[in-house]
Amino acid sequence: METIFIINALKLVGYGCAAIGPGIGIGIACHGCCTGSARQPELAGRLFTNFIIAAALAEALALLGFVLAFIL
Amino acid sequence: MDPLALVNELVGHLQASFDPAFVFEFGDSGIGMTQYVLWMFIALAITLIIVLVAGRRLTVVPNSKFINMVEYGYQFVRKDMGEGVIGHGYKKHVPLLATLFFFILISNVIGLIPGCKTPTGALSITWALSVVSFVYFNYWGIKTHGGWGYIKSIAPSGLPAPMVPIIWFFEFVSLVIRVLTLAVRLYGNMFAGHMALGIFALMASCFLTSVINGATVLFGGISLVWLIFLVAMYALECLVAFLQAYVFTILSAVYIQLATSSH
Repeated sequence: METIFIINALKLVGYGCAAIGPGIGIGIACHGCCTGSARQPELAGRLFTNFIIAAALAEALALLGFVLAFIL
Repeated sequence: MDPLALVNELVGHLQASFDPAFVFEFGDSGIGMTQYVLWMFIALAITLIIVLVAGRRLTVVPNSKFINMVEYGYQFVRKDMGEGVIGHGYKKHVPLLATLFFFILISNVIGLIPGCKTPTGALSITWALSVVSFVYFNYWGIKTHGGWGYIKSIAPSGLPAPMVPIIWFFEFVSLVIRVLTLAVRLYGNMFAGHMALGIFALMASCFLTSVINGATVLFGGISLVWLIFLVAMYALECLVAFLQAYVFTILSAVYIQLATSSH
């Protein structure tokens, strides 16, 4: 009982750790998108599309962590 | 009565309400229609009604608000995702993109109505949607480059020869993993969002219950704070419902573009 609880808790902690990197990555991507579209507002549409793509690539890591926390 | 004990008692019911319970079942076979599939069919019906009714009454100058709205949505998919992302030869991909966008958007929005379930909050449904997108972009990649050409085009051209197998392997893994990330992103966002809404609503009602049962009036203030959180979270969920439909569709468009472009 006690061991199972600890293992489940460790899965959640592991997922939390896995979310740190993508969080930083998406933050940097969003910063770039915001500053870029503040300097050149006419490019905002394209920048936002690229931001979504970059955020999706970074988010893939967090999602892998989410899946692994479920299935392990 | 301790409100946190009450929450602890009731949180199991909240989790159970997210289970794919059967609406009806053929005997004890385990085959039947779950609540998510029922709501998926309702979302499908609403999508079909909106699009067919608007499609029948198309005129050169849109003359009603409803038709204008549907045309704007279609134009959004066509301009932003079709022309903006896929570029040359985008016209044949617009039907799939528009279908995905409208269906996912209506599924997500349906879940925000209290008492309804969001179909995209079940992993099996998002999995099916992402498999549709995955098969589609691979099919168009093979059709454009031919089978061997498509396999070669996974690795970007212009690499030094010894690096090609390594880069090819990593690109291949990231290609296969797309089917997983598309499905889990949509599912995770919708499921977690609705779970958070449920928890906030449960907290607000449990604190209020304990005030009614004669606890300190201070708990009433806490209940009010949870209610404000709930409203704020609901507003955020309205944004997320649109954003996830947008992200799913635009990523499908990007994958189609990557598969069909010649680099």
